[in-house]
Amino acid sequence: AAAFERRVLRRAAEHHYLRVRLELSDGGARPNAAQFKQLVVTALRELHGEVGAALPVDVLTYEEKTLSAILRVISSGLVKLWSALTLLGFYQNRRCAFRVLQTSPFLLALSGNSRELVL
Amino acid sequence: MVRFKNRYVLCEVVSEDPRCRQCIEDRALGLAVRDAIARVHGDYGLACCSISFTVKYLNAYTGTVLLRCRKDSYRLLCSALPFVRYLESRAQRYPCFLNTLHVGGTIRTCQKFLIQYNRTQLLRLLQNCTNEEERQCIQKSLLSCSLTEEQSQSGEEEEDDSTD
Repeated sequence: AAAFERRVLRRAAEHHYLRVRLELSDGGARPNAAQFKQLVVTALRELHGEVGAALPVDVLTYEEKTLSAILRVISSGLVKLWSALTLLGFYQNRRCAFRVLQTSPFLLALSGNSRELVL
Repeated sequence: MVRFKNRYVLCEVVSEDPRCRQCIEDRALGLAVRDAIARVHGDYGLACCSISFTVKYLNAYTGTVLLRCRKDSYRLLCSALPFVRYLESRAQRYPCFLNTLHVGGTIRTCQKFLIQYNRTQLLRLLQNCTNEEERQCIQKSLLSCSLTEEQSQSGEEEEDDSTD
């Protein structure tokens, strides 16, 4: 019989993926993809300074209609990004809030969401 | 076992402008360092490092500064020190930079290091003397440096740089 071997990789994933939605009051210009990324970087700069703003964050997809996006960040920067998104309050002097819908170290895991399952 | 541990960062203020000497004061320096931390590490970094942040010791003649911060955030402080570009006081700005000499856990270790460092610096100053007059001057002040217990406040200690 073959010997059984178990390998556990802790924190092996390089990147973490977040599906976020920006809640913004109606009646106003909606940000496009570049402005959305600018908003994310601004949030990081306010909370974590230049070091935070230099964190490699990518906006993989962005839908202007629903203001939802998939962000990718290096795993060591997940806490900084999430805390910065939580504490962002204003976009062009309008109240806004980031809601994090899903997060996972694997992009594929963001495709299914058991919260929106209709049984 | 459970106590707040601090880190003491020993730096020296290096400036080309000789007038910068008199504007080295603890409040101006504290503000400059906090401003640099706020720029580099944001609100979170500023709040983290300000918990137990003070300028513990300042020597305007030699430009020696001793900063204190919590052990958990001394890396944030040390990484922000190169971003201090100028000192501002009395509406005057003097460009300068901070050289980190030593990071210690207590004031005593920093003092021991400073004594050692000043000894080597004095020797190097002696070597770099260009003319005989300066040499005599430095030698005289080295020999006159002593630990006295005087009643006046100006008691010379070993680590004071008496090259005035």
